[in-house]
Amino acid sequence: MLKMPEPDQSVLARRTDIIAAMRAIVPASGAVIAEEDALRPYECDGLMAYRQLPMIVVLPENTAQIAAILKYCHQNKIRVVPRGAGTGLSGGALPMADAITISMMKFNRVLDIDWDNRACVVQPGVTNLGITRAVEHRGFYYAPDPSSQIACSIGGNIAENSGGVHCLKYGLTTNNVLGLEMVTIEGDVLRLGGKALDSTGYDLMGVITGSEGLLGIVTEITVRILRKPETARAMLLGFPDNQSGGDCVAKIIANGIIPGGLEMMDAPAIRATEDFVHAGYPLDVESLLLVELDGPEIEVNHLIDRVSDIAQQCGAVYSRISENEEERALFWSGRKNAFPAIGRISPDYICMDGTIPRGRLSDVLAGMQVFSQRHGLRVANVFHAGDGNLHPLIMFDANQPGELERAEAFGADILKLCVEVGGCLSGEHGIGIEKRDLMPEMFTEDDMKHQERLKLAFDEDQLLNPGKVFPVLHGCGELKTLHARSVAEKFPDIPRF
Amino acid sequence: MAETIIPTSPAQLRDAILWALGDKVALEIIGHGSKRAYGHAVRADYVLDLSKLTGILFYQPEELVISAYAGTPLAEITALLAQKHQQFQFEPGDFPRLLGGQRDGAVAGQAPAGTLGGMVATNISGPRRLKSGAARDHVLGFGAVSGRGEDFKSGGRVMKNVTGFDLSKLMAGSFGTLGVMHTLTLKAMPVPEKTRTVLVPCEDVVLAGQAMTAAMGSENEVSGAAWVPASMLAMISPDAAETGDVGSATSMVMLRIEGPEQSVDWRAAALCRLLDDIGSAMVLRTEKSLSVWQAIADVKPMQSRHDCILWRLSVPSSSGGAVVQALGRIEPNVDAMLDWAGGLVWAQFAAGSVEQAGKIRQIAVDAGGQACLVRAADDLRREIPVFQPLSSEINRINRKISENFDPHNILNPGRMTPGLAQGGVSGNQAVGA
Repeated sequence: MLKMPEPDQSVLARRTDIIAAMRAIVPASGAVIAEEDALRPYECDGLMAYRQLPMIVVLPENTAQIAAILKYCHQNKIRVVPRGAGTGLSGGALPMADAITISMMKFNRVLDIDWDNRACVVQPGVTNLGITRAVEHRGFYYAPDPSSQIACSIGGNIAENSGGVHCLKYGLTTNNVLGLEMVTIEGDVLRLGGKALDSTGYDLMGVITGSEGLLGIVTEITVRILRKPETARAMLLGFPDNQSGGDCVAKIIANGIIPGGLEMMDAPAIRATEDFVHAGYPLDVESLLLVELDGPEIEVNHLIDRVSDIAQQCGAVYSRISENEEERALFWSGRKNAFPAIGRISPDYICMDGTIPRGRLSDVLAGMQVFSQRHGLRVANVFHAGDGNLHPLIMFDANQPGELERAEAFGADILKLCVEVGGCLSGEHGIGIEKRDLMPEMFTEDDMKHQERLKLAFDEDQLLNPGKVFPVLHGCGELKTLHARSVAEKFPDIPRF
Repeated sequence: MAETIIPTSPAQLRDAILWALGDKVALEIIGHGSKRAYGHAVRADYVLDLSKLTGILFYQPEELVISAYAGTPLAEITALLAQKHQQFQFEPGDFPRLLGGQRDGAVAGQAPAGTLGGMVATNISGPRRLKSGAARDHVLGFGAVSGRGEDFKSGGRVMKNVTGFDLSKLMAGSFGTLGVMHTLTLKAMPVPEKTRTVLVPCEDVVLAGQAMTAAMGSENEVSGAAWVPASMLAMISPDAAETGDVGSATSMVMLRIEGPEQSVDWRAAALCRLLDDIGSAMVLRTEKSLSVWQAIADVKPMQSRHDCILWRLSVPSSSGGAVVQALGRIEPNVDAMLDWAGGLVWAQFAAGSVEQAGKIRQIAVDAGGQACLVRAADDLRREIPVFQPLSSEINRINRKISENFDPHNILNPGRMTPGLAQGGVSGNQAVGA
């Protein structure tokens, strides 16, 4: 099990005072939760294998309250765990026994839709899909679409730099955010970026995005909205093996085609989803590509023809093109229900999130089969093939002693392999606690110290979301020590003029 | 003249910085030195020249990724990408020519001078910024040596990566003040098959802004939207300049669309219909379009007068037209051009002053944006902050980041803001030789 920082008994001893202080800052009824039964829903996020009751939960409703809460926590050295919709899969919102969980779900308003600048200003508790819902009547949408988009909040998307199925063409959260308002642990309100594209100084907005709640609490977000493409059509392409499916992905891209969506599923995932949603997926293929092309109709039709040709060359044994919106939605319904489909055939599953260079796909899938036998557990794969982001779903039964540990070991083996072939531990779910202890697989001590130095610039006392992302928290003194060496002879090897 | 240190490997780079740290000497970090005149002058004891830390590490077109040492000439990289019909989508322009800086390592009239590292350190971008972002949006990973003499990396070589903080964003646009990047990995994207440019005559800059807003809000996936005044038209598009209705050039709205042939023709026609009320449009085909947008990326009309003050205002795009009008009230003879559908205002003044800078900044801030002094004589750049001043709360965080990455302030001291780079010792200590 993962080790979390020890609760600070001196903070727990002050719990009653802290509750009173929070009620003074956020007086609304029910906004400070301290009863055990009411705290229960907050004990975990989407990573449900790990649970911990928070000390208390506070639901503020404006920036001034957040600033006051954080200032109080800073002065009184109380840890803080920010929380959005609680859909995160890496345990980034896992509470701590001695920490205040700050729920952002009362920040649920769309503040401004600026059609002329194609920007939408929202509060962080608005759901990802909520933004699209607010602008779609005029033909606009918000591009990043994580599969939890119906429930996940845009604030959580900022924390994890969420992706989705359209990233290759339209970018990640970080490429679609124009501005942020955030509050530091000291209670300062920073306004970063905005409707103008350029900013000055270090790109704080860029580092806040994907910082998993370790640097501050975001209270307002300006996102870029896009005009919805005139047409979108999806294709299903079946292949006899993963290698030829992977080759087809590489060839589509090498031909200069960047599809709006480019997804891949392996045989176990195809079968599980087809049994569940009956999307019409072929059951006699080993690898299935879902390619979506969007844009003007004339362009989409042209590209469909080109992708069909490429698929033929790569040995596709199955090809189907959506003829209408219902059919396109049906094609997607399989992919979008892959997680629950696996949930039907296995009591429990964990979803991994490594990213790899696309060309190494068949090697990595072959490696997974070896691990599957070694750990005695099944795995199904859904893959954001366009951007190399794998989602292996490892199936296990938590009621069988030792299976969770085996599943976690299996997952760790997969992620280590991802790093080994040139990829990374997490494409879009974040490190949280889940992958925290694997960080040294990818980063050296000095790499991580520089990340922590960024952390210290925002939060020197390490009060914001402790225990997440970094396996060992270096002390402030250690991070500030300089290892300078005075070289008597000035590096004789270097050419100088 | 400061002594120059020229490392040829990341290990030598680290040695050089460790030495500087030990002896507490400040370094000015340069690649080709092509953008040396951008930002504040650095006061340093030694020049750390990265131009010999070169070489492409790998390029995998089917993975859309290229990795190279930071001192590799941008020209070499763009030429290699072009062989595989790929490019940097953020379209870095020829800043060196705009600044009148050195042009080592580039063939005149071809790809922009400068190095890969310099491009990322200054976070430059061109007309496609409005659709595809800036350099920051395309850096996948880097390796660098910080001002602590430690080699560190962040990111990697894959498109989607949330493994730890995104320090690539921090380094992009940090002007070498936090660390010296030695290795960079970036995303490359396909060159579109065909390009079309829709030219709509439009003298009124506010109306031009509205036309660009309408085009951007349409389904036509516009990837460039500029307004070029009549006086500059010949520098951008000689063809358009010759076809003026009354024998002389008119100002033009220029809209770019890219994609497969059938698609660009269809969308060009749709844009012409959309903007029919404003003026009768003409359409440029691929070859002429490429030259037009290269000229806009390079801000070609403003390259020749290096004695003129040049400002770059980044504002919400719908306010661009009004900003140009306001600038005209300060100085009737201002030369101004709009890019990014109005979100980027290039403004050239014959002369400058602290008072004028204050007025320009006020116009940008009132519009919800900011202003950067791109080109001015050294004495003026000593008196006016080149970059938009930030709030004290943001400055405090920036200063702490700078202290944590470069505690002795040995990397490019004073380049971004004189006050910040002095480690908070002085509020606004003057820099300069």
